[in-house]
Amino acid sequence: MNVRGWLINLYPRSWRERYGDEFEILLEECLRSPFDVLDVMLGALDAHLELSQEKNWRSMNMINKLRSTILFVFAAYIAFIIAGFSLTGLMDDSQLVPLTRSNPVLSASWTAIEAGSVIGLLAIVIGGAPLAWTIIRRAFTSQRRDLRLLLVPPAALFLLAAYFFGMVYFAFNSHVLDQPSPLGRALMWGLIAVFVAGAIASTAAVWTLISHTDVEQETFQLMGKPATFKLYEFAYRPAVIASAAMIVMFVSTIIWGRLAYSLRPDLFTGNMGVMMTSTRGSFAFTLIVMAFAVSLACIGIFRARSSRMKS
Amino acid sequence: MNLADFGRFSDPALLILSSLADGPKHGYGMMNDIETLTGVRLGAGTLYGALTRLESAGLIKAITPTDRRRPYQLTAKGIAALREQLTLLQKLSSAGLKRLPAE
Repeated sequence: MNVRGWLINLYPRSWRERYGDEFEILLEECLRSPFDVLDVMLGALDAHLELSQEKNWRSMNMINKLRSTILFVFAAYIAFIIAGFSLTGLMDDSQLVPLTRSNPVLSASWTAIEAGSVIGLLAIVIGGAPLAWTIIRRAFTSQRRDLRLLLVPPAALFLLAAYFFGMVYFAFNSHVLDQPSPLGRALMWGLIAVFVAGAIASTAAVWTLISHTDVEQETFQLMGKPATFKLYEFAYRPAVIASAAMIVMFVSTIIWGRLAYSLRPDLFTGNMGVMMTSTRGSFAFTLIVMAFAVSLACIGIFRARSSRMKS
Repeated sequence: MNLADFGRFSDPALLILSSLADGPKHGYGMMNDIETLTGVRLGAGTLYGALTRLESAGLIKAITPTDRRRPYQLTAKGIAALREQLTLLQKLSSAGLKRLPAE
């Protein structure tokens, strides 16, 4: 063990769990003289004398980890939505629809995907509503212009998504895309690119907004009575449910894809993906994005679980 | 919140709060900023001794790290405490300067 490790081990365990990682980086950068070593040793002694703060350290550690968990699951869910659009695009006007209806296993796995998407959406909305409301309110009531500016990307994405789906609905109903021109295709690809970039920018903005908003709990008036929500703890269970829904959807998609391919491999050789892209490529993209999203959500949940189990 | 409650960490606590007044910083950033501002170099043990007390008191909070370093920022309570403390110091310094004989 090097000097830094030895010095950090002088601190109480609960302190190390909360500050150990960041403190080690600081020591890498500033431990230069015997006086610095002595200062750290005095700091360790002080931390032992302040063991009454132990509960505080544990609780702060848990709040930080819960906040990270909520952010990880939110980012994972946005990625999953993009994968979901890709999968739905694959099914639109495809022979895969009657095939899925005719086979009970295919039908059951597709139903599991649909049920997972509804449960996941509900969990995100229910768990995130108090947090979103509090953050929007704080952004407008505080004097911080930077927080208000961070609301712009998600609001712009919402408007863009409304416009995008309105346009797609119109395009399919008026059959203008039956014989798309190169310009029309380029415009559609541009819109898809803007939509994906907007989703990424919005996720980054919401992530920064939550990280920079000084909020852990909020009191709401529910049916005339005040109700206090510990925002991150309240959002934790829905985040677990949303993550479980994403896992179910991911596994169901694998089952569905594998069985559909074994029954009708010819349906995967054409160009029935989003914007007439390769069906096989589109399905592979869907699975890769889903796998990424599920991994992200699992990392978030396990971080919070390990913290909750220790406290 | 009175920083005098922080005992031997009250001065480092004020330096940390002042350093965070213009935005979030991680430990090494605060250390360098404080040295530039005041010429005082806080040791890592002193810095984190004060920082843990400030976080426990709800005057600062950790924000999501971008790398292994964890940045901290002032809370609303921290801004109020810093303002109160600096106003007090401002009154003290102007009163003290007035009492000094002219050079």
